[in-house]
Amino acid sequence: MVQHRLPMLPSAGEVPWVASVNGTKKKLNIENNAILLDVLRDQAGSLGTKRGCDMGTCGCCSVLIDGEPRLSCLTLAAEADGCEITTVEGLADGHHLHPIQEMFAECGGSQCGFCTPGFLVVASSLLEKNPSPNDEEIKSAIEGNLCRCTGYQQIVDSIRAASKILISEENIEDYTSPKSDPHPGFTGE
Amino acid sequence: MAEETNQDEMVGYRQQPGKLPFAKPGSGGKDRFSSPRDQEMIPKSQGGDLAQPWGSHRHDELISGQVIGKPTTLVDGKWKVTGQAQYGDDIRLPGELIGRIIRSPHHYARVLSIDCSKALELPGVVAIATGVDASNKFGVLPVTKDEHAMAVEKVRHVGDLVACVAAEDEATAREAERLIEVEYEVLDSIHDIREGLENSEYPIHDRGKYHIGEANIQKRVFQEFGDVDGIHDNAIASHKQNWIFSGVNHAATEPHAVVGHWDPSGRLTLYTPQQVPHYVHRALADVLEIPMHQINVYRTFVGGGFGGKSDPFPHEMCAAILARKAGRPVRITFDREEVYWINRGRHPSRIEMNLHADEKGRICGIETDALIDGGGFASFGHVTTYYNGVLHTAPYEIGAFHYTGARVWTNKPASGAMRGHGAVNSRCAVETGLDDLAEQLSVDPIDLRLANLLPPHSATITGFRVTSIGMRECLERVKEESGWDKKFRKMPLGKGIGIGCGFFISGSGLPIHWDPNKFPHATVHLKIDMDGGVTVHTGAADIGQGSDTVVAQSVAEVLGLPLDMIRIRSKESDTSPVDLGSYSSRVTFMNANAAISAAMKIRDELLDATVEITGAKRDKLVIGDRRIFDKKDPAVGISYLEALHKAQEDRGALVSSGAYRTPPMGRTHKGAAAGLAPAYSFSAYVAEVSVDVETGQTKVDKVWAAHDCGKALNPLAVKGQIIGSCHMGMGQVLSEEMRYGRTGHLMNPDLLDYKIPSVHEMPEVFPIIVESNDPEGPFGAKEAGEGPLLPILPAVCNAVYDAIGVRTAELPITPDRLLKLIERKCKAEGINDPRELKSPGLEYSDLQTILSERSEEHKKRDLERRLNEDRQPYHNGALFGLDPTIPPDEIDEKWAVNVIPSADYIEKPRLAGSAWKHTERRHRGDS
Repeated sequence: MVQHRLPMLPSAGEVPWVASVNGTKKKLNIENNAILLDVLRDQAGSLGTKRGCDMGTCGCCSVLIDGEPRLSCLTLAAEADGCEITTVEGLADGHHLHPIQEMFAECGGSQCGFCTPGFLVVASSLLEKNPSPNDEEIKSAIEGNLCRCTGYQQIVDSIRAASKILISEENIEDYTSPKSDPHPGFTGE
Repeated sequence: MAEETNQDEMVGYRQQPGKLPFAKPGSGGKDRFSSPRDQEMIPKSQGGDLAQPWGSHRHDELISGQVIGKPTTLVDGKWKVTGQAQYGDDIRLPGELIGRIIRSPHHYARVLSIDCSKALELPGVVAIATGVDASNKFGVLPVTKDEHAMAVEKVRHVGDLVACVAAEDEATAREAERLIEVEYEVLDSIHDIREGLENSEYPIHDRGKYHIGEANIQKRVFQEFGDVDGIHDNAIASHKQNWIFSGVNHAATEPHAVVGHWDPSGRLTLYTPQQVPHYVHRALADVLEIPMHQINVYRTFVGGGFGGKSDPFPHEMCAAILARKAGRPVRITFDREEVYWINRGRHPSRIEMNLHADEKGRICGIETDALIDGGGFASFGHVTTYYNGVLHTAPYEIGAFHYTGARVWTNKPASGAMRGHGAVNSRCAVETGLDDLAEQLSVDPIDLRLANLLPPHSATITGFRVTSIGMRECLERVKEESGWDKKFRKMPLGKGIGIGCGFFISGSGLPIHWDPNKFPHATVHLKIDMDGGVTVHTGAADIGQGSDTVVAQSVAEVLGLPLDMIRIRSKESDTSPVDLGSYSSRVTFMNANAAISAAMKIRDELLDATVEITGAKRDKLVIGDRRIFDKKDPAVGISYLEALHKAQEDRGALVSSGAYRTPPMGRTHKGAAAGLAPAYSFSAYVAEVSVDVETGQTKVDKVWAAHDCGKALNPLAVKGQIIGSCHMGMGQVLSEEMRYGRTGHLMNPDLLDYKIPSVHEMPEVFPIIVESNDPEGPFGAKEAGEGPLLPILPAVCNAVYDAIGVRTAELPITPDRLLKLIERKCKAEGINDPRELKSPGLEYSDLQTILSERSEEHKKRDLERRLNEDRQPYHNGALFGLDPTIPPDEIDEKWAVNVIPSADYIEKPRLAGSAWKHTERRHRGDS
């Protein structure tokens, strides 16, 4: 038999929910049995948080709740009421990417990119606590995230590279800064 | 005073304050000298410093030193790391409805009736569709269209589509799903692949006059090349193994999702993460009975494909049908479980592999019999059946080749194309067989391979045109870098090292839709307006492998522009030229070729404009970084923008179109086109493993992975593909398996029980790029996406043998399976403690010297053939004394090409070969 799902548990109705999502206070009315992932994607506008397996195995839906990495598909939204939630959209500082984002793009840590948001929030939390992790620490931090494209090696490389940037406090360039001049050497005279 | 200073700073357009960062359009250049070209990236043949050990290439003069060959960040990388990339389920249209699929709970049943009345009464349900709403068949291959949007008469596996519903929200849609009442008449289902060969009361499909017997055989193949009967006369060593391979799933992290939307002008836009948007486009037109120009297929970002998103899918039809009925956009997103019901993973297979070697250590014969489990539908299976045989006819020179293959329908989710399509399982069987032959002959398995390789620019036994071959270099590199000579057969019990090789197509020779066959396989359009940026329109589906990036790189290289001046528009069929899709490892090869040819047309116009302005000689001009100049006298030249604006006079934006079509190739026998490709990739891996003899647990410690990709256009991406392939192959060889229970039910349709390797299971992979500079490939490139998967399986199997002396013939090598084999071996050797087992040793026989000498000789032969362009033809068979310049069937009477089995064979067939016991209906004279 197909594992026919039971009728969805009847919701006892809507409840007010307040949380800070990426620094913005969100006041929403949610079903009281809502899953955090659904609230983030459907109501709070964080489509960067991905749904991969719905049962906590792939890590694509990872978000930070009060700085701790959590699987939003296994978290009732009510549990995060009043918390500070950070998703992938909250990592960058305006147009300056977080070093972990810049390095995932740079070092091949992201291929198809679907698992990337989960890896990014988990890795950012690791670097927050431990700015220069060794390879074993990096691997332990991302063991709950599955990636099907990269074979993880370039992900570990990316996190290592991001750690170097964080320590050196190197600036990440604003991605809206001017691109290549089509006419180099021309001064306009 | 202050006023004056301000006026001095006013440059560029007067009406804007401050200094303009860019030149104004139409202005001339001041700096008459180009920034120096990157000499290290310019080939020697063009006066640069880049060594070309494999000779020159037709694209050498297009190299401007910009981006080709440099590690390049994906052009859409920042979309992905910011969460801005929109995948299937991220497309949210105003007024959208949520669609759900009603699926069969039975393996095989007739659908007697569907009652939707209760569901329709549920508030919030907007539309319901069933099989009667779309009765036309579709399928990825035109010869085997056997799918419906929803069951029309029968359901063929658990999870097959029966109906679909669109509702205001997911909870309502799920409730409606429960309220739809379907009455079934359950039929006897088939689960054992061998049963599919027998006659059955209700075959799963009816192929009309082409139906084979009354059986569930979807496709059967018989191929013989050479003197097959003579194999056994010459063989001094033979290997025989019966393999069982479990089915595996792509397990891409993104579950399938689709959004259908009919706009007010009456056109359908279908948003879908697809590898083959063009085939979806065709299928939609068939199913919806509307012309193709009424449909816009929008490929979203694809969260991993690997072949799992390379069929037109029934749920895509459902979204279009529901959206049409409801008059609102409909979004359908799969649960992870549903991904397994749609499947299209690698075929569960039973393969009998026979290899024979003669006294000179030549592979005098390969006899393969492959029975593959297609599940409920055809998908790519027609091709897979061929690929299981023909894709192991290289890289070795073979005395004779015999292949029987059959694909049967069973009541399981359909198998299809998965990374390494059709080649992975039989390659594993061949390479482990070669290891066994080397053992029997007491020679080193790497030397056995090195002494039997086809040379560059040769034809395989099946007549495939092989151009560049980097196989020898791959083998030499992994041998050296892994420290093979110090480790092989010399490590303690429980530690082992093994070799495996691979050979894969780089694009398929014929398109799937070959009528009319003069359509190109890939087309790229360019548009450059006054701003100087280049808009590239391509239909190539970027599924994360970086096809957008490689097309951008090719254009940037030819036009001498920085990569950020190129923008790719590849998502919509409305604006993109037709591309056949991301399968068969064709994208880099064909699209980059098309992009180069489009860019060359623009380049010509820029050069003409330069000649007009400077009066320089055209053939002396080269393109460097945003400047076109005389090669000998760089002071003579103009900037890119000057040339562009000159070329645009009186006509505006420059536009061009470039295309790629494969050259005519191959032989003419039935099935000759399967496996034919404009180029082939080669790879060799060495894996080092640890096996715990007491538990049967295998861990791969290190992998040296050499892959010949012709030319690494983007080494960062090539390495990513190699390591990623190791990951996927490692999963198949050690842990991944679609497990079916005794009642035929799939037991692990989720990522918890379907075990893909996590970061802790991954070995350290040392990717080694070998560049053989393919004459047909773009800048010399071949594929790197699928081929690198093949060698990891046999390398691990052979390493396990080296570690504990046990040969496995069933994948994955889970601890329980391996432990049983260890126990059996202990029993046979009368040992109680498995720690007392002896791992195999090696003493060379006299043959080892013969092989080493031959491989040295062949190395010289190969070097000469790749550098000397006046080479003679070389047909497989020369190693066995035949004239290499003439196809062997024209020399030797005994050397035959057969595609129909003899009566003798049908008397005593192998397993898959027994498919030939049946007669097709048309030959029986039935209707």
